Parts: sequence; structure tokens; C-alpha cells
Amino acid sequence: MSYKVTEAQKYVWQGAVPLQIHLHESEVTTVPPPPPALILAPRIGYLPLLVPQIKPFFTSALPPGADTVWFEYKGLPLKWYIPTGVLFDLLCAEPERPWNLTVHFRGYPGNVLTPCEGEDSVKWSFINSLKEAAYVITGNCKNVMNMSQSDQSELWRSILNGNLEAYLRVASKLKLGLDGDDFSMKLNSSSFKSRQSTNEGDASGPTKPGRIPVRMYIRTFNEDFDGLEDAPAVDNWDKISYINRPVEIFGEGKCFTLTDAMRTLLPELFPKKSLTDDIVCVSDMEDEQKSPAGEAGSTRITEETGGGEIVRDHLESLSMLDSAEIKLIRIQGIEPKMEIPFAWVVNNLMNPEHFIHICVYVKVQEPITL
Amino acid sequence: MASESRKVVVHLRATGDAPILKQAKFKISGSDKFIKVIDFLRRQLHRETLFVYVNSAFSPSPDQLIIDLYNNFGIDGKLVVNYACSMAWG
Repeated sequence: MSYKVTEAQKYVWQGAVPLQIHLHESEVTTVPPPPPALILAPRIGYLPLLVPQIKPFFTSALPPGADTVWFEYKGLPLKWYIPTGVLFDLLCAEPERPWNLTVHFRGYPGNVLTPCEGEDSVKWSFINSLKEAAYVITGNCKNVMNMSQSDQSELWRSILNGNLEAYLRVASKLKLGLDGDDFSMKLNSSSFKSRQSTNEGDASGPTKPGRIPVRMYIRTFNEDFDGLEDAPAVDNWDKISYINRPVEIFGEGKCFTLTDAMRTLLPELFPKKSLTDDIVCVSDMEDEQKSPAGEAGSTRITEETGGGEIVRDHLESLSMLDSAEIKLIRIQGIEPKMEIPFAWVVNNLMNPEHFIHICVYVKVQEPITL
Repeated sequence: MASESRKVVVHLRATGDAPILKQAKFKISGSDKFIKVIDFLRRQLHRETLFVYVNSAFSPSPDQLIIDLYNNFGIDGKLVVNYACSMAWG
């Protein structure tokens, strides 16, 4: 069995953020203080996985006590289960290289961060994200649960070592990928409904996935700023909307662009007019006998296109936010063109736990809830 | 967003040797995060260590919105949350 590895996938897997890590001054017991540690952090990796490399730099300077390691950027404790590359894209509006982080070995902020017991916690979180993604794609996570112990270990090792080939060898067994080149999946309304109503006992699941797991991190700004370097720093996680919504790929994948994906993900930010256009466009693609692009036509399609509940939900929740403006969309450190096919994004920029992580910077006139 | 005020019915199901709660169903705001369910269970069961799953399948991260979990994984108008005192589904 062969796997097609794309150039972009290689870049994603080799991608790393140069870190300059300082020990927090409250934990420095030596004069002079230890110099910062310089280290390359894999984008698809997680900060706690760096601890074995970082600790020798600081261990002699630490006060007595047990280690509970956590990282901080400009006063914000960093969530350890968010991939390092995503943290960088999200919190460093203007990429700062090296990225200056502070490490703490004491005083874990249990009110802000969930406990982390090193690699085991990260692995647990990774596997659960993978199961969640599998559930979104296939309607259950049997493929992940039924993985052999050795496959699971190999999968995890491939993440630790950044070994894309080894990863694909195991991950391909999970059959969570998109349908190859033609990418001609159609949204299957009946399969979606059955997933909504049946329990996890449904072993088969649809064979052609049409739902893409997405995690979105949204920073909203009320005031304008000139350049990204002037964007105010995030000092509290409450200021970031964390949204998990799958993208339903409508009709022929090739027509479905990143713009279309963002419209379904964040209808709150797109004026109603363009959403209506979008639905008419879907009807053009899905309906052999093109229905007149009248209002009745689009309503009917809305009812039919599977995910009915979700689509209706979005329409209902559509607020009149013509005033919102997306300043920046960043995926794996790049700002993709909005007309790029979403399938390309999925096949190339996905993280190994099968989620697409999208960082969005939005400027709004008034504060909104997403 | 309209879902901000939307309520979600959460159905709590004990797994393994975890005690069964008197009130297994309750409503929670869609804009709350999953940590609220976890904290509720911790208080009810007087346990710090708990394993909490959706649909007997996976453990979501504590900062996920209830409305997202409901929209993505809800079954028959409910979000089914399983809890166990020891690891149930790896």
C-alpha cells in the first residue's frame, strides 16, 4: 500500500517554532540566573513534550520541591493540549522569532489549566482528540478504539519523532481520510440523520466522509490597529472563542473553497446576502434540474441538505454583523488564499489528530458572542 | 448568536462502579463549557479523579462549548455524558 505524501504535508511535519525559554524569575535561586534555553519546537507537537529537553538547562537553579511544569507567554498560561504551532499562530499576531516563553516548574495554575502529568497526559489528550475527530467523520470511533496496542504506540511515537511516513502507515488503517483525488463526496443527508439518531452501535458508518473536524480559535478586536505587531496581547483565555464545528462539504469538493468553509463555520460573521448566495450555489451544484434561484428554492434546499438542523440553526442565529471584518486567517502558520479549495486545506494542513486548527482574527464594531 | 441562550439537556450515565446519580438529566446553557459538567460530577461524587466521556466514546477537552458538543454528538435531543471512576475507554 502506498501513501501519497504532499510537499505541504512534509512542510507541516517538519515545521517548527524556534523557542527561547526563560525560567520565571520567582524560581531562580542562582546568581547569575540561568541563560534561556533555545529549542526548536515542532508545530504539531505539544509543549510538555519539550520538558525533558528543557529541564537540564534550569534544574540547578530551581528551588527545592516537586516539578509541575507549565509555560506562559506574556502572562497567559499556555494550554498544553493545544498544538504548539497553533499556540504560536494564535498568540503571536506578528510572528516573533525566537518566540520568548517563560517556563515554570512550581506553582501550577490549576484554576486556569487542566492538570498535566507529562507525556502520558498529552498522549491521552491526543488519542481523545483523534477519537473525537473519528466520531465527527464516521459517526463512531471504533476504528480508533480497535487499534492494536502496538499500532497505537507506533502512532504516538510517529508524533513524538515527527515521522510522517510512520504516521501515514498507521493512520491509513483508520480510514479517516478524504476520498483521494476526485474528492467527489456528496453530502449524504440520510447518513447524517442516522448518525444523529442512532447510538454508537452503528458499526458501519458512511464510507465517504463528508464532515471535516475543525477547531477554531477566534480573537476579536474592538479597536483598529495598524499592523499585526500592534495587536494587543491575549491576557486571558476568555478572550478567545474556542469553537468546534465540523465543516460539511457540500456537493463537489472542488467548488468548495475556504471561503465556503468559513461561511458555514462562522455564519455570524458573514452577511446574510452572501449566505443566501451560497445556498443557491449549492442548489446549483446538487440539483440536476436547476431550480430557480428564488427564495422558495433556497429554502427548500436548506431543508434538504442533510445537516438540516445545523443549517437552519445557522440561519436562525445569523445576526446582522455587516460590521465584522476578518483580519486574518492562519492555518499551520500560513495565511491561505480564501479561494483555495477546502479539500486542499484538509489534505495538506490537517494536524495528525485529524483536526484542522484555524486561527481567526476578527475586528468587530461591538463585542459579540460567538 | 441565538444559541447563546439555548439550553442543552445533558444525560449523565454511570459506567463501571461509578455511583448512579439521583438526578441523571439536567439542563445546561449551551454557552457553558464542558468543565461545568465535569465539576458538577466531581462535586456530586466527591471525587477529584473522574473519567468523563461523550457517547461512551471520547473525552472532550474541558473548554469545549456544550452547544458544540451537542450539535456534533447529540443523540435524540440530548448530550449523553458517561462518567467512570476509573478509565473506561482509554
